[in-house]
Amino acid sequence: MSTQLELNVRRKGAMRGILTLGSLDPAFAAAEGVEGEMAVLDLRGVEFVEPAGLCGLAALLEFLIPRSRLVGLKFSEHDVAAYLERMDFFRIFGHRVETNVDVAALEERRRGNPGTLQELISFHSEEEIPGIINRISEILTNKGYELSERAAICATLSEICANAVEHGRSPFGAYAAVQAYQHIVSGGRGRGEEVLVAIADGGAGVRETLSRNPEYAEHTASDNDALRHALKMGVSGTGELGRGGGLAVVGQIAARASGSLSLRSGSGRVTFYGDRTNSRNVPTFPGTFVRVSLPRKADELPTASKN
Amino acid sequence: MISLKTVSMVPVAKEDSRARAVYDVASGDDEGVGGKLMVTRGTGRRVREALGEVLEGLPGDGVLYVDTRGVELMDYSFADEALGILVSRVAAGEYGDRHVALVEEDRELLENIEASLRQRGLAMIRVDEPGGAPNIVGEVSEHLLETLRAIYEAGAITNADLAERLGINHTACNNRATKLFKLGLIHRRKNTAAPGGRQYSYEGIA
Repeated sequence: MSTQLELNVRRKGAMRGILTLGSLDPAFAAAEGVEGEMAVLDLRGVEFVEPAGLCGLAALLEFLIPRSRLVGLKFSEHDVAAYLERMDFFRIFGHRVETNVDVAALEERRRGNPGTLQELISFHSEEEIPGIINRISEILTNKGYELSERAAICATLSEICANAVEHGRSPFGAYAAVQAYQHIVSGGRGRGEEVLVAIADGGAGVRETLSRNPEYAEHTASDNDALRHALKMGVSGTGELGRGGGLAVVGQIAARASGSLSLRSGSGRVTFYGDRTNSRNVPTFPGTFVRVSLPRKADELPTASKN
Repeated sequence: MISLKTVSMVPVAKEDSRARAVYDVASGDDEGVGGKLMVTRGTGRRVREALGEVLEGLPGDGVLYVDTRGVELMDYSFADEALGILVSRVAAGEYGDRHVALVEEDRELLENIEASLRQRGLAMIRVDEPGGAPNIVGEVSEHLLETLRAIYEAGAITNADLAERLGINHTACNNRATKLFKLGLIHRRKNTAAPGGRQYSYEGIA
């Protein structure tokens, strides 16, 4: 007996074939019902994986593997498996899942991935973060990023990584990945460039963390309330002076780049754009997920598509 | 131990004989306290401990310049842990009459320090280089800023002279200067020999 886990990957439109965190929702819901049997995740509709999808997939597997005797991954697009291999996905999960592609062959033809700023990385403590930042800073320097852009990307990554391991209490720590694109990915492919940062943990979640502080009782009635509150300067679980500034600063960095900061935790999903914040209820995510979009030169390029 | 390349004593063209040390955060030391990429609270805590050690080693009214000009980037967590907490302890008098000032240019990196200090209702003197003209990072109201500038322009000034210069009464002037003193932005001295009894005089720290 085995359980098939379906994904919600679009078949047409700008988001066609893209594995996002949202496309994993049905699989997370189905994974909850797995009770020891084999589980097969069908990735055949996937053509393109962004860091959010990659970190989400890692979090899903961490959620699923302890519940299942054997987890299988089904690919059709060979390029997707090759991309996952280049993002170190099989280095972390290769021995924990079964798949229909020959991973050893992918390893042999492995080449550099021009846009990769950080492969899928698993970390468990704050002490690991400076090393991660040193490495990505060096890559950004070699790629000719300006200091201000480098500072924005590194400060975003370090701050959110620190949040993930500080509040996480996550059985698997946290996963992060960073990718640069030669086009705009968020909200459909447009002209311009974009850096995407994604981090996922399997910890207590934002609402529970903020609920530890009795002052926030009225702001933790729902997951979305808690997420919106967490974006404000000085809001933290401990309530200590000086705490709770990191996420607010990351929001400012993203807004200044005309990008966005998205948070998902529990059944909440909040996206902050600087001048507005969108919230909606979504299927439960068991932990906290953060995605930051940092477009480059977006304002200098026409946004209208010529077709 | 803090290495010699990290901390240096600087001669600053000032009339007083106050001890001034500069801690170069970017040069770090053998134990890795400092560097060009300053992120996380853990890193901030180690830098703050190193800064505190240097501060304690200074004479009673010494000034420690925290030079972050070589730092390429820092995050909010580092800024709050290394500088926000240090400044709050200096302002609370934990280091006696010793003070800290920031050596940094006006650039994006300041935003993190600014955010931390504002969050804490604190401020810090910033100079482009040791001995340079003072600027403020953090939360200071317009009238306090005016008072601060008058004190720094004068070099050293009594409460009566400052009140006259600002066109306010002695009590109001004393209240403003007390706030600046409690923020750790000025030195304050009691002149018991002054005519008419007790009077304060003020001096900039950087």
